[in-house]
Amino acid sequence: MGVFDTPQEAFGILRPVCVQLTKSQTVENVEHLQAQLRAVSDSALQELQQYVLFPLRFTLKTPGPKRERLIQSVVECLTFVLSSTCVKEQELLQELFSELSACLYSPNSKKPAAVSEELKLAVIRGLSALMHSAYGDIILTFYEPSILPRLGFAISLLLDLAEQEKSKQVKIAALQCLQVLLLQCDCQDHPRSLDEHEQKQLGDLFASFLPGISTALTRVITGDFKQGHSIVVSSLRLFYKTVGFIMADEQLRKVSKVQAKPAVERRVAELMIHRTADWVKNTGDKLTILIKKIIECVSVHPHWKVRLELVELVEALLLKCNQSLVESAGPLLKALVGLVNDESPEVQAQCDKVLRHFADQKVVVGNRAFADILSENLHSLATSLPRLMNSQDDQGKFSTLSLLLGYLKLLGPKVNFILNSVAHLQRLSKALIQVLELDVAGIKVVEERCWNSDDLSASPKASAARPWNQIQRRYFRFFTDERIFLLLRQICQLLGFYGNLYLLVDHFMELYRESVVYRKQASMIVNELVAGAAGLEVEDLHKKHIQTSPEELREIVTSVLEEYTSQENWYLVTCIEAEEMGEELTMKQSSLQAITSNAHTCQVTSSPALSKPSPTVCSMNSNIWQICIQLEGIGHFAYALGNDFRLLLMSALYPVLEKAGDQTLLISQAATSTMMDMCHACGYDSLQHLINQNSDYLVNGISLNLRHLAQHPHTPKVLEVMLRNSDASLLPLVADVVQDVLATLDQFYDKRATSFVSVLHALLAALAQWFPDRRQLQEQSLGKEGSHLSQRPATLQKGLENTTTAKDIEQFLLNYLKEKDVADGNVLDFDSEEEEPSVPPEVGKSDTRPDVEPPLPLQIQIAKDVMERCIHLLSDKNLKIRLKVLDVLDLCVVVLQSHKNQLLPLAHRAWPSLVHRLTNDDPLAVLRAFKVLRTLGGKCGDFLRSRFCKAVLPKLAGSLVTQAPISARAGPVYSHTLAFKLQLAVLQGLGPLCESLDLGEGDLNKVADACLIYLSAKQPVKLQEAARSVFLHLMKVDPDSTWLLLNELYCPEQFTPPHPSLCPVQLRGATGQQNPYTANVLHLLKELQ
Amino acid sequence: MAAPTRPPPLPDPQFVLRGTQSAVHALHFYRGTQGQGCPLLLSGSLSGLVHIWSLHTRRALTTLDGHGSQCVTWLQTLPHGHQLLSQGRDLRLCLWDLAEGRNAVVDSVRLESVGFCRSTVLAGAPPRWMVAMPGRGSDEVEILEMPSKTSVCTLKPEADAKPGMPMCLELWQQADSSPRPRLLAGYEDGSVALWDVSERKVCSRVTCHTEPVMGLDFDSQKARGVSGSAEKVLAVWSLDEQQSLKVCRTHELTNPGIADVMIRPDRKLLATAGWDHRVRIFHWRTMKPLAVLDFHTATVHCVAFADDGLLAAGSGDRRISIWSLYQRT
Repeated sequence: MGVFDTPQEAFGILRPVCVQLTKSQTVENVEHLQAQLRAVSDSALQELQQYVLFPLRFTLKTPGPKRERLIQSVVECLTFVLSSTCVKEQELLQELFSELSACLYSPNSKKPAAVSEELKLAVIRGLSALMHSAYGDIILTFYEPSILPRLGFAISLLLDLAEQEKSKQVKIAALQCLQVLLLQCDCQDHPRSLDEHEQKQLGDLFASFLPGISTALTRVITGDFKQGHSIVVSSLRLFYKTVGFIMADEQLRKVSKVQAKPAVERRVAELMIHRTADWVKNTGDKLTILIKKIIECVSVHPHWKVRLELVELVEALLLKCNQSLVESAGPLLKALVGLVNDESPEVQAQCDKVLRHFADQKVVVGNRAFADILSENLHSLATSLPRLMNSQDDQGKFSTLSLLLGYLKLLGPKVNFILNSVAHLQRLSKALIQVLELDVAGIKVVEERCWNSDDLSASPKASAARPWNQIQRRYFRFFTDERIFLLLRQICQLLGFYGNLYLLVDHFMELYRESVVYRKQASMIVNELVAGAAGLEVEDLHKKHIQTSPEELREIVTSVLEEYTSQENWYLVTCIEAEEMGEELTMKQSSLQAITSNAHTCQVTSSPALSKPSPTVCSMNSNIWQICIQLEGIGHFAYALGNDFRLLLMSALYPVLEKAGDQTLLISQAATSTMMDMCHACGYDSLQHLINQNSDYLVNGISLNLRHLAQHPHTPKVLEVMLRNSDASLLPLVADVVQDVLATLDQFYDKRATSFVSVLHALLAALAQWFPDRRQLQEQSLGKEGSHLSQRPATLQKGLENTTTAKDIEQFLLNYLKEKDVADGNVLDFDSEEEEPSVPPEVGKSDTRPDVEPPLPLQIQIAKDVMERCIHLLSDKNLKIRLKVLDVLDLCVVVLQSHKNQLLPLAHRAWPSLVHRLTNDDPLAVLRAFKVLRTLGGKCGDFLRSRFCKAVLPKLAGSLVTQAPISARAGPVYSHTLAFKLQLAVLQGLGPLCESLDLGEGDLNKVADACLIYLSAKQPVKLQEAARSVFLHLMKVDPDSTWLLLNELYCPEQFTPPHPSLCPVQLRGATGQQNPYTANVLHLLKELQ
Repeated sequence: MAAPTRPPPLPDPQFVLRGTQSAVHALHFYRGTQGQGCPLLLSGSLSGLVHIWSLHTRRALTTLDGHGSQCVTWLQTLPHGHQLLSQGRDLRLCLWDLAEGRNAVVDSVRLESVGFCRSTVLAGAPPRWMVAMPGRGSDEVEILEMPSKTSVCTLKPEADAKPGMPMCLELWQQADSSPRPRLLAGYEDGSVALWDVSERKVCSRVTCHTEPVMGLDFDSQKARGVSGSAEKVLAVWSLDEQQSLKVCRTHELTNPGIADVMIRPDRKLLATAGWDHRVRIFHWRTMKPLAVLDFHTATVHCVAFADDGLLAAGSGDRRISIWSLYQRT
């Protein structure tokens, strides 16, 4: 931008101004000069540097009082010149340095002069500019011992400013200027890189200032938080740069034993310091005190940038001075480690980077001293941990645990030194156990129930999105902050990763066994240890660490799994099952009691004692959590082992599945997510897939547990779930278990029928689904086109329309006569050919054993056996069982439909008690029985028709008729009586039954007669509805006679004959006359059309 | 008063193998080929299939189909080479090669009689071995030199003995300086005979049962053997220096019918497979009853011991139960 590029031109314009300034030293003149200077190019100015500087220096040097404003502008102008040129002469540099620093102090006191802030700022900037403008080697010659007093003076001035000045700007400028003076400036090429010798020389020189600088800076750093973070940041930077330079191990290593005689006067020589070992030791000790102070103050500084600078400090000092400052290494590491989990992500990231760097450089592990210090720190932390966990608040716990985590991270594999000491392991585990204690006081956990436990398909698909380590929300007694739990988990994972897994798992399983008080925490810890050992989510700072081998891991997991799922740890009392568990409950409790008897008298331990049979909410709560934690652990194990876990499925799947059906919501949720974990870990697509593929393992567990039903009351439930989730390929495996079930059922008819009947239901439902009847399938596909039943009303409808022609009527009559003929038995030979030819004797392979019938298919055999049991159970005292049995019976009929030879005898045997259900039982049972009857009617109608008409129909019709007047008169309360429910059930059931049994005309009339009364408006509305439904079904079977019957009750319109040749029809139901049946009849007739 | 003592809980099998889909008639433990590592269990079923089970995963690894849907009655692996012998009611003795996951019939021998008698094998210097099997005549036993399939001899009882069909066979060798192959045979009339194979004559005969002998096993170290028959009695007999058999004790059972007897390789336990669906365990030295394993719901046809002491029982209920009993520590 220079307008005047050549020195000649520049001189031309500068000369008058300089002369003017020399003559009259005013602010205006100085400013005038500066204005002119702006128009001069740098190179030109460099030529004229001395010339321009002269009037300025002259102004400064003229004795007598000067106005501050003038000095300030002079200094500013000077700064401008210096920043555009470089100083090439040493004397000039020294002189300028002295002159500038002189501006700052009042000669009478050694304190900085009480001048304006602007002036101070200007001077400080001037000094900075001066040092930057020193050309090449000049700067080195500047730092000679002889300069010591003057330099020291300037430094102490600047320190004073930094410490005591009010203005933030000045303070920062002073600190930056100090950095420049000490050649630790942040700018790129200043100073040029120094060789070792030069560095050492400078170090020797600066060493004199170290005490002053470090103490002053410490005071600044540990000052009020309110002074602003940038000051602290700058001070910290200056501190570590200076200390790092003077105390650098590299320099100190080269310091010779004997001090070279410097060629300076004595006064200066006294100031010189020789950095001997003693000096280093002393200084190190003193610095340690300062560093501790700094760390203490800064690590809790509210501003993250300050903490970030602290990380830099630690890095710089530990890397450069790890021998000279060995005493400080402890506090420094502690500071670093404590910041690993800082709330600011920047600090975290930096910490992490530094730690990684350290690990790469083997600063810690490769350095015995450091490792020792760390272990010592960890030792002492472990010692105080229980106390700290007891006394600290959440924040305190958080930082303590962060520290612990950091130590573990840094120490890596060397953590075993600590773990191998029994005392320390105990301390550590005690603290962990203590802090992880759960709050089990809430009642909600016990209360929450899940009702549709058996529907696994309703649970979310095993999606890959769910992270493996997501766990249920826990409530802890001693902290509420989620982050603390996270930290604890990380700590355990790291321990598992680096530590000796055998030792740790052993230790914590010992605690697990020792007492109920520890059990939950111990299992939580073990879960995380295993997850950590597998390297899940652990970031390894130590590359070459050898992990626990998969075989070892599998061994450990197997043994823990065995412990978790053992009788006394898996089947804990979680709810009061009064009716299901009898004596075996108390038996189990006694075994539990034996384990817990040595526990502390804590509220949690109030485990079920024999004297008070109902366990407290607290202990049930605790048990629920225990099971959840163990379930979660199994999920972790699955992830830890991956595909290797498949082998463990044979022992793990059954217990988990059992818990998935638990009544307690929390447990069933936990179990379901564990199964999900297993799916992911072992590579199954879904829970169904998992169960289906491993049903052989499940069957094994089921069949063995069925043998000890008293201890395993939930076994039938598992079988049920398995059946629901498998396919036909399971049947051969499960066949013998079914036999076992039936045998056990025979043995425990009274006690466990409920659970078994639901198993049978699941079984038959599965069979019906797995082996659908082929004929039925065909029928279904055909049925869509429309059966003859639906066609008939159509023709009828057509016939009733007025548009019918005589031809139609003729055809109708002919058809009618033909049908009548057939009905009377005058069968023509046309359907004889439909008769099946007699089955020829089978020839083929099967005649090697001609006397033996081919064995029944497995499913038929099973259905047969089940149906046999159903016959017995049909008359069970318990209504619930009767209902369920009726459902099972229904399914049996469906499965057996293709094997009439088996079905019919059984149906015959079941008939009497089925009749009982139909005629004198609870309405609910009546309804179900109707359903069975319907199915049965559909499959073997002929077999049933006459029996039904003979044994059941008269009774039902009779009861309907006798009850009708009562219900017609009854008030609104009647609908709550059993009689009403029964009426309703019969009416609801009759319709479909008539249809499926395809009853004859006479029987249909019986039904219709009995139901007609219920079409009366006097009957309760519900009964009317039910009666209407009967007629709707009757219409399907025989629309014509139903039409007639209804019209006889009430005839809505006069019938005009379709053809004049026919005589008019008069039906009994009087047209137009209202009667109680009008509404319902009209409704039904509308349906008919 | 003292609390009522509960009966000890029913012992449970360690696990149960399912999926043969028909009655199990033969069982044999097999250490598996090199590299495979895990022990295997071979089972032969009524439907003629041989299943190879991994005891590790408890699942069937492969199925061998070589007996045309006829019952497999006997399974035995040869000590050298990974070969399996299976005997079926289709009158064939098949030799399978199991090495490196192969499963092919490499050779077969035609049996001459339809009987219940299981064959027996005696290994000689590799690759030679000897097999004894029921012969052409109903009371004969034929001995073959394998793998050349050359007939060594036919052992036919003296004309006046009339012991009926051989029911079970056991080849063994005396461990003295001049090993001579011997054959123990249980006959239909309830007698057990000791044959000297090289001299083709009966050394000794003892009648220990009134019903056919269904199974026998011999402990050559103690020179004691045991046999079970269709009746209620288990007979223990011994062999003295003069090569004569002598019944030393009998053990009365609650239910008749022993389908198989087996002494554990460490000669500490004896297991019997009962028609009463039960497996019974005895102390072999004292014949003290130790346990009744009640799990199956049909006749137990066979029992087998593994080297590590595991017991397997195969039954008509299509299940194979695996028991861990008195494990050696």
